[in-house]
Amino acid sequence: MAEATLPAPAPAPAPRGGSARQRLRAWWLSRLPLTDTWQLGQRNIYILPTKAGYAFAATLVVMLLAAINYQLNLGYALTFLLAGAGLVSMHLTHGNLRGLTLHLRPVAPVFAGDPALLDVVITSPARDRHGLALRFENRAAHGRAFAWCDAPAGGQASAHLSLVPPRRGWHAVPALVVETVFPFGLFRAWTVWRPAARVLAWPRPEQPPPPLPAAAAAGSEERAVQRSAGSELDGVRPWRRGDSMRQVAWKKVARSGELVSRETTGNASRELWLDWADGHGADIEQRLSRLAAWVLLAEREGLACGLRLPGHLLPPDQGDAHRRAALDLLALWR
Amino acid sequence: MTAAASSALNLRQRLTHLPRDTRDTLFHLAVIGWTIAPHLLHLPLWCGAMALVLLAWRARLALTAAALPGRWLVTALLVLAAALTLWSERTLLGKEAGITMLVVLMSLKTLELRARRDALVVLFLGFFLVLTHFLYSQSLGTGLWLLVAVWGLLTALVLAHMPVGRPPLMRAGWVAARAAVLGLPLMAVLFVLFPRIGPLWGLPQDAAGRTGLSGSLRMGGVATLAEDDSIAFRVRFTGATPAPAQMYWRGPVLSSFDGREWTRLASTFPVALRPRLELELRGAPLRYEMTLEPSRLPLLPLLEMTPDDDASAPRVEGWLLTLRPDGQWQVDRPLSERLRVQAAAWLDHRHGPREPVLGLRDLVALPAGYNPRLLQWAAELRAQPAYAQADAPALAQALLHHIGRGGYTYTLEPGEYGRDAIDEFWLDRKLGFCEHYATAFVVAMRAMDVPARVVTGYQGADPEPQDGWWIVRQRHAHAWAEYWVAGTGWVRIDPTSAVAPDRVQRSLSLRPPPGLVAGAFDTIDPALALRLRNAWESVNNRWNQWVLNYSRGQQFDLLRELGFEAPSWQDLATVLIGVLCSAALAGAGWAWWDRRRQDPWQRLQRRVQQRLAALGVTVLPHHAPRTRAQRVRTTLGARGEALAGSLEALDRARYAGGPVSLHSWWRQFRAAARGAG
Repeated sequence: MAEATLPAPAPAPAPRGGSARQRLRAWWLSRLPLTDTWQLGQRNIYILPTKAGYAFAATLVVMLLAAINYQLNLGYALTFLLAGAGLVSMHLTHGNLRGLTLHLRPVAPVFAGDPALLDVVITSPARDRHGLALRFENRAAHGRAFAWCDAPAGGQASAHLSLVPPRRGWHAVPALVVETVFPFGLFRAWTVWRPAARVLAWPRPEQPPPPLPAAAAAGSEERAVQRSAGSELDGVRPWRRGDSMRQVAWKKVARSGELVSRETTGNASRELWLDWADGHGADIEQRLSRLAAWVLLAEREGLACGLRLPGHLLPPDQGDAHRRAALDLLALWR
Repeated sequence: MTAAASSALNLRQRLTHLPRDTRDTLFHLAVIGWTIAPHLLHLPLWCGAMALVLLAWRARLALTAAALPGRWLVTALLVLAAALTLWSERTLLGKEAGITMLVVLMSLKTLELRARRDALVVLFLGFFLVLTHFLYSQSLGTGLWLLVAVWGLLTALVLAHMPVGRPPLMRAGWVAARAAVLGLPLMAVLFVLFPRIGPLWGLPQDAAGRTGLSGSLRMGGVATLAEDDSIAFRVRFTGATPAPAQMYWRGPVLSSFDGREWTRLASTFPVALRPRLELELRGAPLRYEMTLEPSRLPLLPLLEMTPDDDASAPRVEGWLLTLRPDGQWQVDRPLSERLRVQAAAWLDHRHGPREPVLGLRDLVALPAGYNPRLLQWAAELRAQPAYAQADAPALAQALLHHIGRGGYTYTLEPGEYGRDAIDEFWLDRKLGFCEHYATAFVVAMRAMDVPARVVTGYQGADPEPQDGWWIVRQRHAHAWAEYWVAGTGWVRIDPTSAVAPDRVQRSLSLRPPPGLVAGAFDTIDPALALRLRNAWESVNNRWNQWVLNYSRGQQFDLLRELGFEAPSWQDLATVLIGVLCSAALAGAGWAWWDRRRQDPWQRLQRRVQQRLAALGVTVLPHHAPRTRAQRVRTTLGARGEALAGSLEALDRARYAGGPVSLHSWWRQFRAAARGAG
């Protein structure tokens, strides 16, 4: 992969001016480690009363005043019972997060502008956990969506968020927050987690896709036909990673029990080179969009296509792996 | 299966298959209904009806999944409720009006249960509503009923914070109960140590409307008391016990009469000329202990007569108790908490000035223009030759004789009397109860120029003590009279005994009509009913003694046991803060320990690794016991065979299932390691 030639994503969201509060927040976020597995303990769980918690406290104060003024011993008892339960709920809320393990599954690449699915697996070692909410730390930038889930005792639950990368290239997964107000909603416990994973966004394919350029002449010196010698018969060879489902010779598979693919020599003459120069006229992003659209189109039509970018060359081939390689190249070019 | 059973089954199935929102709303409504229910007994009828209709309507909306009514309708209902409150309570402020509005608000708010925030508002209002019940009753039954209400409210609160799926109600209820139970120690500490300070501001007028003796007497005022079965105080005698007929608990002494109302005397004479107490005691004292319910009156109804000397006077921490010249015990502020006092009384006593003092003129004063016919009647009596020269006791006997023979009837429902109430009672209708007889007696005595006054208080007690405690109820409230005799002082006389000796001797006023259940018990087995009642009252007494009676006095006793010489509420605060700080420190300690706590398996792995390292076998933290066993074999050879076997046993126990005690394994392993070393 051409990843090495590309600039690594910024380690932290750059503090773009902003108020002192924002800068402080950015600085504080940058101190958190980048990790895909986040173990919750006392060091990384924060807890504060919610608005409802303050309202509850105000209710208790009013009740205490009434109990004092009317000298109601049961009024005292009730007030203190609720105060005790409220205080215990602080521990329960904290305990609802403590000991959880969060893990972000690898994120599949998407086209820029499409939502990428962040799949967070929450593992609870003991005890049922209720009312866990997953959201982005910076809600203004990434949306206010909440994903709720309950984690069973000794089991796992997954919560999904979608992240829409605006441009092609690597995107750091923004900081995530897992929070809970269970059981009484008087306290909110939360943790801030910066996953190390990144999302790759391919260039957004041009819509509608422009017609493919004319196929180049067979036998070009750049051509590198992927052909296995010896083992094939009747244009059939053992299945290789990257062969699409359409290439599999299902009848033969049914007969022999081995997974075999059709040899693609028939298409080799219609081998196609997608060239950076073909998309002339448009700016860089538009050219990349057009090339991405062509890669998809060629794949759909069963053509083996190669990709020629300034400084990069991808030999013609077919199959999912090839398509991904081509799109990755386009996503990360320069 | 019968049709009823199958329909019940259908209902049950329907309930268990309700959508979550509907089920939660119904639960919510049920909890609110349960919380409101005890108030229906004393709130205006329209308020209870409106609350129930609103709740039922909301339940119907939930079941049919219909849309909630618009905001304008809710506002209109609120305005209507406010208008009705104003109409029935004459105010929007004050206790009754406040509770009425609170109940209506709660039921109205259920029509706006849209977001989580609305639910929280209702629940927090609910907690406050629970508290308002204690203004009316703090009995054990009320406490239990409201404990369930609090549990329900907390469960609803938990449900509101379980957004995923359809959690079972019992699960939420369990979480709520667990939080409450875990909070009990904190509750107990706060309850015991939170300083009981007096009311922060003057109680609103309506708070004083509780039943009990009042400081004045107006015709009909005692009738309502006589029907009240609630407990005024409990008494325990440490030595000799007097008969209930001898128990006169002295309350306000009323000497001033304006024609309608008897009040305390505000004498215009200088202090030196007023009658003084001049108490003279004879015989042995009766020592007793009393637990007084909060009467909201600044007085103690102590046994006649409890003198003001060091050995027998009652004393309560934080209260100033004084004996008035008219023999009544005064407190510096209204009794707003349950009070426990110890004192001694002498049944055989004399009090009042022996010689005439000018101040006694106040006690023969009668308002001009009232009761002319009784004055006429008294003058005629006095004019009879037999009484022309009679002394005060003879006149008193004459009056008692008249009451006994004159066709008077004792009744709790004498009906309305007009302006000249005593005239009407004494000469026409002759129906009345203690206060009628006492006041008429006093007016007649005064008309014959004998100083006399009305004494109110309690007379008697329940016929049988429970756990050694005699119970005096509000229905024992009584009024009697005192007249002055030269050379003797004040003489007590109970005119009611002349017409209804039972009232005094058996100490039973008219029994209130029994309730339905009590009536049923009575017809089946009166003895059983009595036993049940006694058992219940004894439980209730414990509840009163230990929970409701807990006040500043008990707090200071506790502090004294903790070693404080002269406890004050600041000491209480200090102890409270100390306990809370130590609890917080303990919590911090636990957090520190919890942070270092490791999974037992991982800790064992680490210890095994250290032990092997000491033997020269290097293993990595992530190596399974099986791998470690191989390393041991390759490094130590035959010498490590036992060790390797032990590690393999651990591996099998861990990964092939089966119980394993890490502790006992570790001991075996250590022994094997010593053998290998």
